[in-house]
Amino acid sequence: MKRKSLLLPVTLISCIIFIALPFGSATEFSFRDGGKTKHSLAAYRWILAQEDFLHYLGVSLRLALGAVLITLIIMVPTVAWLHLKAQRYRPLMEFLTLLPLVVPVVALSIGAQSALPEALQSSEYELSFMYVVLAMPYTYRALDIGMSAIPLKTITEAARGLGASWIKAITYVIAPVIRNAVIGSLFLTLALSLGEFTLTSLLHWDTFPTWVTSVSQQNIIGAIALSVFSLAAAFFLLFAIGLVTMRSKSDAMEGHK
Amino acid sequence: MTSTTHNDVVAKGVPSRGTLGRHNLSVAIPLLPVMIFLGFFFFFPMAMVFIDSFKSNQGHWSLINMTTILNNPYRMAFINSIKLGLVSAITASIPGAFIAYVIERKGSQSLRRIITSLSGVLANTGGVPLAFMFVAAFGAEGSAVMILKKLGWNIYASHFTLFSFTGIVVVYLYFQIPLMIIVFSPAIHGIRKEWRDASENLGARPIQFWRFVGLPLLLPSFAASFLLLFASAFAAYATARAMTVGNIALVPLQIGNLVDGNVQVNQANAGKALAVGMVVISAIAMIPYLVIQRRARRWQS
Repeated sequence: MKRKSLLLPVTLISCIIFIALPFGSATEFSFRDGGKTKHSLAAYRWILAQEDFLHYLGVSLRLALGAVLITLIIMVPTVAWLHLKAQRYRPLMEFLTLLPLVVPVVALSIGAQSALPEALQSSEYELSFMYVVLAMPYTYRALDIGMSAIPLKTITEAARGLGASWIKAITYVIAPVIRNAVIGSLFLTLALSLGEFTLTSLLHWDTFPTWVTSVSQQNIIGAIALSVFSLAAAFFLLFAIGLVTMRSKSDAMEGHK
Repeated sequence: MTSTTHNDVVAKGVPSRGTLGRHNLSVAIPLLPVMIFLGFFFFFPMAMVFIDSFKSNQGHWSLINMTTILNNPYRMAFINSIKLGLVSAITASIPGAFIAYVIERKGSQSLRRIITSLSGVLANTGGVPLAFMFVAAFGAEGSAVMILKKLGWNIYASHFTLFSFTGIVVVYLYFQIPLMIIVFSPAIHGIRKEWRDASENLGARPIQFWRFVGLPLLLPSFAASFLLLFASAFAAYATARAMTVGNIALVPLQIGNLVDGNVQVNQANAGKALAVGMVVISAIAMIPYLVIQRRARRWQS
């Protein structure tokens, strides 16, 4: 019995040590002045002095928002339609949207490079489209599970039966109940797009993650400081979204009371 | 859940049997945008890769690329990548499954949430930052190395280097273990307390519960997760690219080199053949993974 109760703390402490090792080291390293034992904010000052820092952060955000927008426009209505009217196509869509998971991103990059039309390849926004493909197995699943959890069809039919127009049904019934699933899937797209490296670098574009790699060749401490920054930002973003979805969940609960 | 929707489908199918064909098609029209999107950005490019990989650089049908990739240096790269996938899957799946078990069984609801979120970030966006964090910890001037040196152990005295096969396996643990936790937790969650109680009431000892109920239930999910981890390490590019200086031949890195034009021009289509090779190996792991996951979901939800 005694041993059992120690299992959780021991596991947690091992996990914390495991995680803290590179994170702690990297944080310490990023404060080193010129690689010596003296500590300073030099690396972070260096980052802020780089014009490229904000530039590539902006590029990454722009492309990620593009991917989010495309997901919102094509994925959300499609999955909602599958649940409302086209249940029999769900297995087919599930199969098709899972396939990008089977193909390594490196292989898809080669395909995109050799098959997409020149006009598209000359714009960095081709990446937004490709990010949507990479995220599709996750966004589809997130939307599908979210919409399976609620009787979307029944409540929509109820709204229509009570005389609501389609527009009213969408605004007042469908949109509020699928909101969490939609936010979740959009966040997945955003996170994946912001961190994407493989496809971006193989298609010869530069975004924030590829810029960090190129920085490492001239200033390794700068690259390490940037890595600390980007993972910290990812955690922060994630917990912020977690809070938002949790709050809207409890709002929805209160609405039911 | 799944059975309800299945029943819906069956029930709906019956009355409209007479107009089935027409009904089907019109209902599918709103699905076209996603189909066209996937077709253009996914199926078409992949089809082109397959076709080109069976063409010589002069555009004739040929198996020359296939023979090229079956010989060195590419043969070695495939062996290395498969080895990396297997070693990484073994070293990550066992601790990952253990952590998932402990957290699911003993952890509180909020702890489970935190672990899931953490795992999500590490598994999906960790790659490049993690590589540089490891340089900070275990590079020649790294913090962990210096602490160990003060404690009297210079790990660089023996032939250790972070930029080696072992180094890559260690760094991969940092996104592979979280990935294992994400995909394996639902399986543990799905083992219901009632089953345990039932087997106890029937007189089973804990070991018998695990032997006859628990493990047979978890084994398919474990195998599936293992396959996913294999595919993930086999195909990983970003971390390997950020960490190695080209000293280890891995298939994704070689494709990267071919795309960047760092090699002879006459191997333009060899990169596509390598990509086809990767898709085949990845599919061997991922298709069973998807099939097992699909079946497991029936009792997990």
